[in-house]
Amino acid sequence: MYKKIIIFIILFYLLALIQTSFMVHFSVWGLIPNLIFLSVVIWNIFEKSNNNFGIYQAFAAGFFLDIFSSRIIGFNIIILISLAIVIKLFLKSYVRIPFLEK
Amino acid sequence: MRISFDKRQVLIFIVITVLIFSFLNIFQKEIKSFFYSFSAPIQKVFWQIGERSSNFLSAVLRARDLKSEKDDLEFKNQKLMIQLAELDKLEEENKSLRQALDLGLEKDFKLAFARIISKDISQDFILIGKGKKDGILENMPVITEQKVLIGRISETYEKFSKVMLISNKQSSFDAKILNQEECSGVIKGLGGFNLLLDLISLENEVYPGDVIVTSYLGGIFPDNLLVGEVKKIRKTDIESFKQADIEPIFDISKSKNVFVILEF
Repeated sequence: MYKKIIIFIILFYLLALIQTSFMVHFSVWGLIPNLIFLSVVIWNIFEKSNNNFGIYQAFAAGFFLDIFSSRIIGFNIIILISLAIVIKLFLKSYVRIPFLEK
Repeated sequence: MRISFDKRQVLIFIVITVLIFSFLNIFQKEIKSFFYSFSAPIQKVFWQIGERSSNFLSAVLRARDLKSEKDDLEFKNQKLMIQLAELDKLEEENKSLRQALDLGLEKDFKLAFARIISKDISQDFILIGKGKKDGILENMPVITEQKVLIGRISETYEKFSKVMLISNKQSSFDAKILNQEECSGVIKGLGGFNLLLDLISLENEVYPGDVIVTSYLGGIFPDNLLVGEVKKIRKTDIESFKQADIEPIFDISKSKNVFVILEF
């Protein structure tokens, strides 16, 4: 578990760096694809609904995004955690993915 | 790790979150500075890679646009070149008109400015850009801005006129030596820009270098239009007149504009 957390901390740190230094050069119609948001959404969709690792992950992702942005620390953390919770609740209540239930 | 959102857990979560956020934002400057200190070199590398990749991608994506941009620029360039050519023409016109004004041509004659459109040098004809519409009639004299005789209108069209040069084989008119009223003759075209002064009385003295001007005698051209210079005197004992080869003053290969004398 701790190993997994450390891996994800490093991963999101690197993703935040890529997001703020590399991805800013690739705007599509004025919008920049957010790798961190995408990773959090994808992880939480495909994570088992009874597992809440995705929420911790959203915290780490939001934290690093806040560190490298000009906003106050917590802005992206709240957004990403809320997003992860909404996805989890939605999937738990309305969607069943058979291969993830195993 | 099962998700169970009971009130107590939510409350604890909110309290912890608020505390963490408060802590993080109180020491925001220090925390961010700490992360920036060791992240800056990595960010610099990512920034450079991103910049290069973006430039490359935009060049690839804009390849089609570049072609159309190139076409647009070529079109604009052509348009500007046409405008430039027009300006050159206007400048030349302006120059000719100024020269004509300096010589007082407008005081002596009623003139029409015309541009040379084409030159049939082998036939000693030129085509000018003024025609019937502009009041041009057959036999009207055509001169340069320096008052040099070029020829006369031989055919008129609606917007164009054909000018028969004085060197044309069909051309002949009365002429005289400048400032010597009594020394006159007939200028005949020999073709190929060559002129001959014929029917000069044997009593008259003519020398190479003498300037030949038109004479009003024939009524074709006004008096004192420059024609050419005597190059060589032809004299035979048999004939009762002498002849002289004349070098025309006008240089049709350099002329671009002419004046048609409407009235004299």
